[in-house]
Amino acid sequence: MTETGGSSDQHQLPRDLPEATSHRLEELEHGLFTSDLSVNEFLLIKHAGFHPVGFVMGSSIYHIGIQTRRWGKSQELSKLTEAMYNARELAMTRMEEEADELGADGVVGVRLDVNYYEWGRDAAEFIAMGTAVKAEDGRSYRNALDKPFTSDLSGQDFWTLMQTGHVPQALVMGTCVFHIAHRGLMQTLGSVGQNVELPNFTQALYEARELAMTRMQDEANRLGATGIVGVRLEEKSHQWGSHTIEFLSLGTAVTRGDRPVALPLPTTVISLDN
Amino acid sequence: MTASPPPVDLASEVRRGVAALAGPPPPGRGGTSDLSIDEALLLHSVGWEPVELVSGVSVVSVPWGVWSWGQGEIGAASGAHASAMGSAAGRMAEECTSAGGQGVVGVRVEVGIWPTHVDVALVGTAVRPVGNGPRTADAGHRGSTPTPFMSDLSARDFCLLHGAGWRPLGLAFGSSFVYAPRRTVSMALGQAGQNVELTNFTEAMYQARELAMERMQRAAISLGGTGVVAVVMRQGPMSFATHAVGFTAWGTAVRLGPEGHRHLEPQVVVSLDDARVAFQASALRADAAPE
Amino acid sequence: MAGPDDSGPPLPPDGDVQANELPEAAGRRLSGQTWSSALTVADLAACEAMGLRPVALVQGFCVMQWGFYTMAGAGSWGSGPPSQATGAAGPYAGRNSGASGGYQESWPCPHGIASLDHRWGYNLEQSWVEAAWSQGFGSAYRRMVDEAREAGAHGIVGVVDRAEYLGEQSVVEFHLSGTAVMVDGTGPAPTLWSTYLAGQRLGKLFEAGFVPVSVAAAMASVQMWPNCQTEYLMNGGIGIGPMWGGSAGGEITQVTRAETAVRHLARSAVRAQLGLDTLHGASFAVSRRQSGTGGHVIECTLRGTRVRRFKDFDPLPAPRPTVPLS
Repeated sequence: MTETGGSSDQHQLPRDLPEATSHRLEELEHGLFTSDLSVNEFLLIKHAGFHPVGFVMGSSIYHIGIQTRRWGKSQELSKLTEAMYNARELAMTRMEEEADELGADGVVGVRLDVNYYEWGRDAAEFIAMGTAVKAEDGRSYRNALDKPFTSDLSGQDFWTLMQTGHVPQALVMGTCVFHIAHRGLMQTLGSVGQNVELPNFTQALYEARELAMTRMQDEANRLGATGIVGVRLEEKSHQWGSHTIEFLSLGTAVTRGDRPVALPLPTTVISLDN
Repeated sequence: MTASPPPVDLASEVRRGVAALAGPPPPGRGGTSDLSIDEALLLHSVGWEPVELVSGVSVVSVPWGVWSWGQGEIGAASGAHASAMGSAAGRMAEECTSAGGQGVVGVRVEVGIWPTHVDVALVGTAVRPVGNGPRTADAGHRGSTPTPFMSDLSARDFCLLHGAGWRPLGLAFGSSFVYAPRRTVSMALGQAGQNVELTNFTEAMYQARELAMERMQRAAISLGGTGVVAVVMRQGPMSFATHAVGFTAWGTAVRLGPEGHRHLEPQVVVSLDDARVAFQASALRADAAPE
Repeated sequence: MAGPDDSGPPLPPDGDVQANELPEAAGRRLSGQTWSSALTVADLAACEAMGLRPVALVQGFCVMQWGFYTMAGAGSWGSGPPSQATGAAGPYAGRNSGASGGYQESWPCPHGIASLDHRWGYNLEQSWVEAAWSQGFGSAYRRMVDEAREAGAHGIVGVVDRAEYLGEQSVVEFHLSGTAVMVDGTGPAPTLWSTYLAGQRLGKLFEAGFVPVSVAAAMASVQMWPNCQTEYLMNGGIGIGPMWGGSAGGEITQVTRAETAVRHLARSAVRAQLGLDTLHGASFAVSRRQSGTGGHVIECTLRGTRVRRFKDFDPLPAPRPTVPLS
């Protein structure tokens, strides 16, 4: 995150994980594995040469109240952007710590969820969860920062990716919370009933999306990745009303590994299950 | 399968079947099953068959006042949940054994958490190896009698795991219920407008979630499992008491069979599926599949 | 007019006299030249592959009403237990045993007082409701079969059935419909078969060596009047012990027994229709509601296709797993 000024060095360092976590991780280290992968994904992960080690998660309850802004101007709400980013970073970092503790090579099927509770107005819980995996051939698949890789790819996509000779590096994200100016009353009345582009909105949405995607790409660059797969852009207003939107861009950064490309020629089929 | 079976003429099979209705039924008592034909065929292909539809129910009371605001874990609620699950599972296991099954697959788990009670209803199909073969050596054991396994995995997932060398042992579940920390958000902050982490809240939710997961893990270990697959994690406030939050985690405890993990060799396909096409009976046989 | 069908849902012995009369309009529709069918295009194609020729869309209706049954005569239900039996022949005694015709259990009040607040509780199988449901379903089924015979069919595929409460709680409409088919290359059938399945699934059933005999369905109904103990527990109170109905944090025995009984009874009822055959593709549903007399009614409906094995089946080889790229 280079543009909002709040660099990742300045947010809180990850806290120690609660005591209950260390009990749970101990059991996992003694040989029990847990996984929220479906049976299909479980078997494909095994086939790709990895074994699930444990279901890992991290969470953070963050206050994300509205900051003051001017109604008439479209602008990024940088404090909120920073908060949304930091909250997710905290959740992801704790999840990575759990994976690290288990000696995992990476985490697949990462899901980032946001939960709201009635008793916590302006607060939201950010949760990251996934299944930590370890390679069975004894090689390390950790990423360029020597941390377990993370990816939101499903088991099927992970297997297919490995077959193409790429390895995942990290789930990268870029976020931007943007306030869209309310149009003046006269302007609104003037264009009622006409088919017109709304330049305010167009410009604002364009800018916001670009910011989010650029930040995501910057993260990937810092990891020395070749590319980003499975990019998706999510837009949510959370609890802020319709003129404030968070643009979140997510994807899995990958690099070309030294595994051979093993993807066979596909067969065409017509499925018999409706 | 060494010899390839002759291609099937479905229409003549239908005629033959309908003609058989006129004669006496074959000997042997039939069963009941809620598996679809696809699932039944898959089950047969790994040497198992459905036996009987089985169920188990339990309703456990939760005394009043449990949900009023307090501190920390709501032990009575997690206790009631665990007790109801345990009793319902036990009853279903008894029905399975008396029907001659070795385990139950495709279990539908319905849990209702109400202010005054927790109810659990389970229903699934008991299955056994074709010809009621000997108990597989690595099935779960409690005491001296073997206990039937049960799993919410579909029959299809059961077959896939079985084919890969894994045996399901039972449903491992864990739950924890917790009160949200009492201080309101604005009190906790002192000033509004700061975007920071709320450590109290984080810690409370984190603990509760981890506790549910840990209980699930312990349940899996006590079933003799080395892993839990298809874990489902559910959380949310109680609709009747929004300051109470419940976390439930469950999955199927599994153990690797004596032959170890068998890799499947998946084939990559491109499906041309967007139009419905005519049905080809011969395509049901693997030997007729396009190569 | 109906053939000697011993397959299909049973009608109680004093069954409906009018079961065999079709409305005049149905006769006209069924003897017409074109046929209509609710099958999808894919299912239709599958029928062709199986040598099944659709001949008509057939349906049957029936509206049933059943009356209330009160414990000790009309009106009062708190005036003591009708019988002290807790199920003489075992908790889930056969359908026609006992005064009310089936499962019943009583739950004494542990406090020893008989008043409006302290009362005994009962779980009672409502066999008259079950018989009425069975009659309604059976009549609707017979009418559908009659329409199929009128059209010269051998069987009915893709049966859809609906049982809905009409307004009041004791009036239910049954509606069954399906596509009547003829099996190419066979003469008139002695019995008319039917199934919920259609299309590919039906094809696979035949290929697996099963022939459908009939749709099978039953409903079990248990009414539970809570004793004072159960009521305290359901309202969050502290109980006294399991013998009287449970205690806080423990199982609420009366409710658990009622729920268990209703599921067991539905399955027994369907099994009684199966003979030596198997029930395939069962669907199992439970619903609960308050009854007008202060009790709770729990109903369990089980439906499926009764099938019979006609050839030894050699299993398919394990299918090849695939990973789709698109």
